Amino acid sequence: MDASPGAARGGKLAYACVAPALVFLIAFNVFPLVYNVVLGFTDAELVGSGWRWRGTANYARVFGDPGFAQAVRRTALFVGASVTLELGLGFAAALVLRERFRGRDTLLTALLVPMMLSPAVIGLFWNLILDGNYGILNQTLDALGLPEPQWTTDRAWKFASILLIDVWMWTPFMLLIALAALNSIPAYLYEAAEVDRATRWIAFRRITLPLCAPLCGLAALLRTTDALKQFDLVMAVTGPNDERTQTVSTLLYQVLFRDGRIGLGSAYACLVLVLVIALASVFTRYLDGLRRRSA
Amino acid sequence: MKLLRSLLIAAYALFALLPLLWMALTSLKTRDDTIRQAARVVPVLARETAPESLAFPATLAAYSELNEVHVGAVQSFWEHLWHSLVIGACSTLASVGLGTLAAYGFSRFRIAGARDWLFFVLSTRFMPPLAVVMPILLVYRRFDLPGTHLGLVLLYTAFNLSLAVWLMKGFVDEIPRAYEEAAEVDGYSRLAAFRTIIVPQASTGMAVTAVFCLISAWNEYGFALTLNHSGAITVPAYFAGLQGNIEGMPWPQVAAGALVFVAPIVLFTVLVRRHLLRGVTFGTIKQ
Repeated sequence: MDASPGAARGGKLAYACVAPALVFLIAFNVFPLVYNVVLGFTDAELVGSGWRWRGTANYARVFGDPGFAQAVRRTALFVGASVTLELGLGFAAALVLRERFRGRDTLLTALLVPMMLSPAVIGLFWNLILDGNYGILNQTLDALGLPEPQWTTDRAWKFASILLIDVWMWTPFMLLIALAALNSIPAYLYEAAEVDRATRWIAFRRITLPLCAPLCGLAALLRTTDALKQFDLVMAVTGPNDERTQTVSTLLYQVLFRDGRIGLGSAYACLVLVLVIALASVFTRYLDGLRRRSA
Repeated sequence: MKLLRSLLIAAYALFALLPLLWMALTSLKTRDDTIRQAARVVPVLARETAPESLAFPATLAAYSELNEVHVGAVQSFWEHLWHSLVIGACSTLASVGLGTLAAYGFSRFRIAGARDWLFFVLSTRFMPPLAVVMPILLVYRRFDLPGTHLGLVLLYTAFNLSLAVWLMKGFVDEIPRAYEEAAEVDGYSRLAAFRTIIVPQASTGMAVTAVFCLISAWNEYGFALTLNHSGAITVPAYFAGLQGNIEGMPWPQVAAGALVFVAPIVLFTVLVRRHLLRGVTFGTIKQ
């Protein structure tokens, strides 16, 4: 990221190159931040144009709202569970797909497809698969003599169903990065381990895991940033206002667009942004550290 | 051991691919066949099959019905696909263009605070759409931008710039500086050197970046739902809007439309498969 040795002082030309992109980003990111702060102190609504200052009343409400704390906790739970499952499953899949075999490259490309698809569209279709009465999943479970939960409507299962779809979509992402990590381990390390008569388990624990850790950490981090925004799948499966599945993003949607309460919603948004910006600054620095090490 | 490994691979492949196969089968059914208590799984070329049979008569009706307007929508699938295409293509061109220019600037010149700027650029990717969309909507209303192609084009351009700048910076960094120095010796201006050396050398990178920008614009839902819930509705918001209509979900058409919608993405995934890793990690991992 630092200018390399031959970098020129570009003067006007240098700034002309980077300015358009930066102006764009400031307009669409910094401006909304500032405007959100302002709106958070008002009682503005989606319909109607009049608004009055409300001081910190919105914030008093937000902090007193158990629903917000609940949504934050649920989002955290979603991030923790989805990233752990996806990393575990993706890493396991990478271990079995590590060795070359005929048709491996084609299979790998096919396996990676789910992560490139639209969560909103695919999540919608999963409703048909998970349907309690005519869904193919429950028909299969029935044939096997297993219990058939009402995946998308039972209070106990809704959240798990959304998690399942997310795991289906994003395990390929972990698989892709875990495979790259495994491929980057030099073969001579394993040869040396064999000479030392290390068991496969020891080799796995002492060579494979530590050498894969940085890239898997990166993968987990990138997924975390996406999972924090979880919106599409919740909307597709239960809608924004379900007490069992409401995440931070769907709560914002509910307050801002369904209830039309811009002032209150902006106060929520400000708190969310404070959390996100704090996380983002930690994450970007971690990324940079990794990038430097690999360069 | 080998057998176990094959079984595990097969199990994972089934988990990953069966839902997509089910989507393909659903798109060939009539609506009644999509919601049977005893699912039918084998498509056959016949007008009818026995009621208890596992086979169902395959039909392309759902595909030809994609030009119908469903209850709860005002346009057909194809019109929404057109909106997705216009918005995706225009925003991709803009973000790759601006991104390449910025990447060139950051790569070749000493710019005050470059590191912090690049962090800022990356951190914009962390913003949850729902937390920033309301101020944007309020400003858009002043300029009649909600529901238009232009509104989402501008937004997606900004949204994808983080990816475009970071990916392109990696690609431009890899072009040896000697090429441009030689060109300058030959009397080329900086601008001419950019056009005749950087752009052709970075064309693979630009294509890869374009694919990733296009995919994220194509799939985006949060902004699409809130800014364009009428007018130029993109496909993800259109499908979501069919939910809860009184006639029930038109599953065969949803499956057919979803397949048409994801087909270009699958094609692009195959095309950029060598660069997938780089694309999904913002250029952090190079292969």
